[in-house]
Amino acid sequence: MPIASSLLDKPRLVKKLRDFHSYVIKNDGKVGTKTRGIDLNFNNACNLRCKYCFTNSPKGDHVKEYLDTSVIANLADQADELGYFEFDLQGGELLLMADKLFETLEAIKPERFYLYLTTNGYYLDEKMAKKLAKYKVSRVSVSIDSMDEKTHDEIRGRKESWRRAMEGLKHVQKAGMDPYLNITVGHYNAFDPNFKMLLDYSKQQNYKTLLNVAVPAGMWQKMSEIVCDEKDRIHIQKLRKEYKNLVRNLWNPFDKNNEKILGCTTVNRLYITPLGDVLVCPYVHIKIGNILEKPLKEIVDFGFSIKYFKNHSDLCLAGEDTEFIKKFMTREGQTIFNPSKAEDIFEKGDFIKN
Amino acid sequence: MTNKDKYDNSFTTALSIDKKKLNKSLEYNSIQEWDSIGHMSLISELEKNFKISIETDDVIDFSSYQKGISILKKYKVDI
Repeated sequence: MPIASSLLDKPRLVKKLRDFHSYVIKNDGKVGTKTRGIDLNFNNACNLRCKYCFTNSPKGDHVKEYLDTSVIANLADQADELGYFEFDLQGGELLLMADKLFETLEAIKPERFYLYLTTNGYYLDEKMAKKLAKYKVSRVSVSIDSMDEKTHDEIRGRKESWRRAMEGLKHVQKAGMDPYLNITVGHYNAFDPNFKMLLDYSKQQNYKTLLNVAVPAGMWQKMSEIVCDEKDRIHIQKLRKEYKNLVRNLWNPFDKNNEKILGCTTVNRLYITPLGDVLVCPYVHIKIGNILEKPLKEIVDFGFSIKYFKNHSDLCLAGEDTEFIKKFMTREGQTIFNPSKAEDIFEKGDFIKN
Repeated sequence: MTNKDKYDNSFTTALSIDKKKLNKSLEYNSIQEWDSIGHMSLISELEKNFKISIETDDVIDFSSYQKGISILKKYKVDI
């Protein structure tokens, strides 16, 4: 049976993934400065009003701007050339304007990437899932907040959100793509039985579970109380041992003992906004360039010239490193559309000379 | 240790699976452990255990436990 997510149908991806694997093995299991993924938000409009949205979409922030498909095509070519092998399309809500999404997929040429969508699942019916698989989408990640329908719908600001999202994941699996159930975990829910129930459900369904730690950015900027503490982090690490289907971008995916840390992937995984601004990750709203103005390589090199992004960090800078958060993520009005500029926020000593 | 033992150990180590799961019908993506990440680990383990370097085309063709045996013949490894 042909499986849409199959790596073996994507020779270029195999080559890049092998390069990444070799680099990480040689680099003692750490990501170093190896290019990994592009998180692309080409439009910020959304049908839900999530309380913790990091893009401020519920406030209607820049929901009418689109990144042009010719710009996206050029970005994808450059990313491919630089060895980026993952492409995560996110929003806003991608399925709100499906025609634009499929135009974007054509521009990116998914056969070169492990391409996936992060969606709230509201419009993810069987027909849509089949079409995504046909377009060589490898994975679809759907964010779920709780096993309790009411709780999820309240956080999302719309009834039916939970039921549709849960159904959506089933359609993804049936269509042959990798189903990922995304959970945001913070100090407020790390030990909540509801969190454990979600993990169990995902495992039972043979899904992968992607854990994103809660970050004080976007709608939650300055809410430092949501950040996981040491006790929470130890608990999450224990869960990693217990649930083999559990994934964090910070963790080394090749470590079968489920212990090693790949490191914070700022710049390794870039975030690109509908304005073409390049941020070091979706949650650290610091701009290192704009793809409409500079080649991607130049932007990446600049990003890695900053010590915080070049040096290894066992902690997620945006969601776990309280010093970094306090110093660089609390500026009034700092958002994905109003990011701090790296050249302004960092001091001379923060830059590493090659 | 025979080549068959080395071959089987590569699978059980790289994919963290029990030896009982190894059979002729075992294919890429047929179990959760043999996904794209597992595939990279498997190829790396085979390269290490047999001291060979597997070409990218063969990495792509390596779609099953059985297929792998025939691919390794190219590298003068008889299972």
